[in-house]
Parts: sequence; structure tokens; C-alpha cells
Amino acid sequence: MIQIDGVAKRFGANTVLDGIDLRIAPGEVVSILGASGSGKSTLIRCINGLEKLDGGTISVDGHRVDDPKQLQLARRCCGTVFQLFNLYPHMTALQNITLAPIEVLKVPRRQAETEARELLAAVGLAERADAYPAQLSGGQRQRVGICRALAMKPRYLLLDEVTSALDPEMTAEVLSILARLAESGTTMLFVTHEIEFARHISSRIVFLDQGRLLADLPTDRFFAADGGLAQPRIAQFLSKMSKS
Amino acid sequence: MSLTFDPTTLAPYLGDLAAGARLSALACALALAGGLALGIVAALMRTSASPLVRRIAGVYADVFRNVPFIVQLFFLFYGLPEIGVELSAFGTGVLALSLAGGAFTSDVIRSGILAVEPGVLEAAQVSGLSRLAIYRRIVLPIALRSAVRPLGSVFVNLILTSSILSAITINELTGSAKIIASDTFQPFEVYALLLLLYAVMTWLVSLSAGALHRHLNRAA
Amino acid sequence: MRYADFTHHDLLLLLQGLGVSVALFVATTIIGSIIGLAWAMLRYYRTPLLAPLAAAVAELLKNSPVLVQLFLVFFGLPVLLETDLTPVQAALITLSGNTAAFVYVIAVSAIESVGREQLETARVFGLSRWQALRRIVAPQAAAFGFGPLAGLLVNQLQVTSLISVIGVVDLTKAGAILNVRTLKPFIVWTVIGVLYYLMARLIARSCARVETRLRAHSQWKGL
Repeated sequence: MIQIDGVAKRFGANTVLDGIDLRIAPGEVVSILGASGSGKSTLIRCINGLEKLDGGTISVDGHRVDDPKQLQLARRCCGTVFQLFNLYPHMTALQNITLAPIEVLKVPRRQAETEARELLAAVGLAERADAYPAQLSGGQRQRVGICRALAMKPRYLLLDEVTSALDPEMTAEVLSILARLAESGTTMLFVTHEIEFARHISSRIVFLDQGRLLADLPTDRFFAADGGLAQPRIAQFLSKMSKS
Repeated sequence: MSLTFDPTTLAPYLGDLAAGARLSALACALALAGGLALGIVAALMRTSASPLVRRIAGVYADVFRNVPFIVQLFFLFYGLPEIGVELSAFGTGVLALSLAGGAFTSDVIRSGILAVEPGVLEAAQVSGLSRLAIYRRIVLPIALRSAVRPLGSVFVNLILTSSILSAITINELTGSAKIIASDTFQPFEVYALLLLLYAVMTWLVSLSAGALHRHLNRAA
Repeated sequence: MRYADFTHHDLLLLLQGLGVSVALFVATTIIGSIIGLAWAMLRYYRTPLLAPLAAAVAELLKNSPVLVQLFLVFFGLPVLLETDLTPVQAALITLSGNTAAFVYVIAVSAIESVGREQLETARVFGLSRWQALRRIVAPQAAAFGFGPLAGLLVNQLQVTSLISVIGVVDLTKAGAILNVRTLKPFIVWTVIGVLYYLMARLIARSCARVETRLRAHSQWKGL
């Protein structure tokens, strides 16, 4: 269970997160929606410890993220996929995926490589295992990024706008992989602009606006006229997004 | 004006020159290793989160960049025996070259470290890698790959600076040449040849650095 | 009789040495800059024979030790030209040449940074090469070259210390004299080092101040 209690985060005079309470249970697929600057990415970055909290607590399976001694344990439970891929440029796709399992989980190299190749095959990149990131397209890099996160066998998968840097065709590639993952029961926390996709695969939708949690509803409730859409801010946001 | 430029009279001295060159090469190789080690440590310190650690390494680089090498050399050569450290002239020379080389190397490597994309660092952090593993497997490999060409320049500088070692009685290349020049009474030929020798050596180093850079970055 | 302690004469010696170092630094910087810029002009005008020759000489001077250049001029030239050369004269010649080589490289690189289209545009409007240089290329190149120039100045200051080896009584030689007499190397060489350090910082700071003033007047706001 990821437990988020009263989390606050400020950047200088700017309050980006203002008292967020959230629970993510294993098996859920939760999408976080909201306008740019609403604090969505910051929330994910607080969960995996990339940002320090200015208030409140976050714990992953009981490990407190704000306690330096427990942070590494919390991180082991989570896998992160980034908007800009962030692959290690000096390592091949295979090496990118096997680095953490070998160094952190102490998995033997042979085994790590076999498992990595299986992951790459599942996303259709089996023949590109020895390619360097510079030789891969954006969509391919993101698929490697997903494999890299999955290689640690995380309990929770954190995805931060993972298709925002891709063109429509590559976006479709990646989304279909993510849909498969959701169906297989992986716990996922998405930050995304892809409303239709979120509607299709999420069990729950969370809406952030200017650092506050405006809605936390099961998907069909969120998109219902008397549920999420009843809130003017949400209705406004959704209509704007559907126009683009 | 008698322009008697006759380099052939230097032929019997080529052996001494070669011996001097070998000594120069040895001193430079040792100083490169020492300077690289110092430079990496100093660069890591200068990019540390602790302001005190940054300051200490910063002062080291600042001092050794703004004081002439010959003064550094004399300080060590005459000063170390005073505090009981007995080092040969060659050892003192290599030490001085390493210290100076380390300061310039730390500049280069620090730039390389700062140029590592923050996103790549974050990916490494959230995957649970320890600080040590992140430096060993991610930061330093990336930083060093981009640092090869500038490090080549530092090495060239090291080779040129090593000529100053002749001032503390080390018979490296320049020191040997001085002896030959006074023996043959042909200083112009000797020093002109020496100039060319150094220029060729540094040119070779630059070429190698370029080749190494291309090899390491063939994937990017 | 050996005066092992420091006397006020030593202060005089130090100041004298400092004066010699500074004088030679300033003189060779000015002369070297003029020569270096002249070489860059040769390159800009693509003067046949002279331009590649200047480039070759600059390469040679850049990639060989200054100490060897000093020896070549001080010991070698007199024998070749059958004249006499004082240490100061040899120092002047060598350091000016060495500075010229680096100024040449900085100037060429700065001019190249200005971009071919600037020059082409000026020429298309009818300006002569010289006018284009004076009004368009040079001002912009000066802004580009200033940073590397500041670094060069600091470096050439350090290089002046080598003239002590051929007998010029500069700051380093003063240190050597004091060292031999008082046998207190830690004090002597630390003081010498500090003096050089302070001078280097002074140069760096002055250059930074001139640079901000240059920037303030330029239209180039940066990207």
C-alpha cells in the first residue's frame, strides 16, 4: 500500500502540493489527471524520493520515504518510468535493464540477462538488446525504460507522463504495452494527459488542481455527469482536453 | 653572419637524448596517473553536496592554477627536506607534476560530471543503486567519456611543463639537451631539434586523444 | 659572513623582482598581442605564403615548452647570428613570440565564431574587407575572445617565472636568491607563491570587470 498523508511541497514561494491524502492499494491502476502545474509530476517525484516533502508523510509498504534510512527500501518497491526516458547513454539496452538487478538485488549476471531478454522480447525489442540509446527511436527508448523498471520486479509502477515526448504512432506502441501490464494485474500509478487511455484502463481517477486533490473516484464515477463532471473545474478541464 | 646549421654533428649524442626522452616519458606517465587519481578525487569533492568539502578541493585547484609551476617545484624541492621528507629529485618532480596536473584534471572532470543529465542521475537513484554504485557505474563513466579530449590537452600541458624539471637537476629531455648543447657548442641546432621533438610528441598525444574519444563515443 | 635572517633589503629585492616580472609581463603582452593580431589579419586576408607560415610558427610555439624556446633564443640565437643577447632581451623576444601564438589562436577562433554570413552580408552591401572587419566582425569577435584572453593572461603571467632560469632577476629569481641566503624555503617560496597568486587574481578580476562593461554596451543579449 502506498500511503500519502497531508503531503505539502513548496518551490520557493510557490505551493505546488497543498495537503494531499491518497491511498494506492496493490492491484489498482490509478491515473492522476490535471492541468500543467497542478502538481501531478511533483507528487510522483515525492513518492520515489526525488523531491523532499515540506509537510506530511508518504510510506510505501510501511517504509517512510522521508526517512533516509528507509528510503532505499521504499525505492525497491517502486519502479519509475520517466517522460524523457533517462536511459544510461553509455550502456546498451540490455545493460540498462540489468544494471540495477545485478548491483542492488545481487542477481547473477546470467540470470539477469536472460530475464532482461525476456522483457525485451515481450515489448518487441528482442533484436535491439545490444543497441545503444542513441541508436533507438523515442518509442523504443521508452519501451526499454519500461523493461528497466520492470526488471526490478517492483510492486508499484510509477509512470510520469511517459508518452508526452512521443509522436502519435510511438505513443500508441507504448500505450498498448501499458494496457497489457494493467490487465496482468500490475499496480500502476500514472500521470498522464491521455484522457481516453486513462479512462480505458484505470480503476480509479485522481484529479489535481493547483496542488489540491479535487476528486478521487472510481473511473465511471469520475466521468459521470453527477460525479466528477459535476465539479466545474473538472468539466472545464475535460472539455478543453477533448477539443485538442 | 654565419648560418652554419649542421644537425648531423649531433648524431653521437642521440643516445643521451633518447635516455633523456625516456626519463621525460616516465615522469609524465607517472604524473599522468597521479594527476588523474588526484583530479578524480578533487572533482568528486568539488561536486559534493557539502560546502566545506567543495571549498577545500576548490582551494587546491585555485592555488595550483594561479602559482607558477617552477615556484611550486622549488617549494617542494627545497622545502620537503626541511620537514624531514627525503625524496629524490625525480620523485619531487613527479610529485610536483602530479599536484599541478591534478588541479587541471579536476577542472576537466568536474565539467564532465556537471554535464551528466540530471534525469539520468534520477533514474539511477530511484532504481535503488547506492551512491558508490551510481558514481562508479554511471557518473564517472559518462564524465570520463566526454573528458577525453580536454584531458588530452592537460596531458600535452604536462609534457611541456615537464621540461621545467631540468631546473632541479633532473636529466630528462631538456636537461640532457642542455648538456649536449654545452658539449657541442651548437645550442641553436640542439634546441631547435628539441623544439621539434616536443612539438611532434604533443601532436601525437593530441591525435591519440582524438582517436580514443572517437572510440569511446562510437555508440553515442 | 652570511646574513641568514631577513632584512629590509630583502623587501627591496622582492619589490625589484616584482617590478621586473610585471614590466616584462606587460611589455610582452602588448607586443605579443600586436604580433598575434597581425598574424590573425594575415589569416583573415588569406595572404598567400605568409598566412600559412604564421600558422605553422604559431603551432610550433604553442606546442613546445617555453623553457626550450627561451634556451633557443638566449643560447642559440647569439651563436647563430654572432651577436650578444642580454637575458632581458631574450626574455622579451621569447615571451612576445609565445604570447603572439596564443593570441593568434584566440583571435582566429573568435573571428570564426562571428559567422560567415556576417562578413558576407557586409560585403554584399559594398563594404570593403577592412570596413567589414572594423565595423562588423571585430567588435563581435572581441566579445567572443575576451574570456579565453583573460585565461591566457593569467597563464602568461605564470610563464614569466621561467625567465629566472636564464638569469633575469624577476620575482622568482629574487626568491631563489633569498632562498639560498636565508635557507628558509618555506617562508620564501610561500611569499613568492602568494605574490604571484595575488597578481593572477588581480588580472582575473580586472578582466571580469572589463568584460561586464563590454557586455553592458553590446546589443548581444545572448540566447
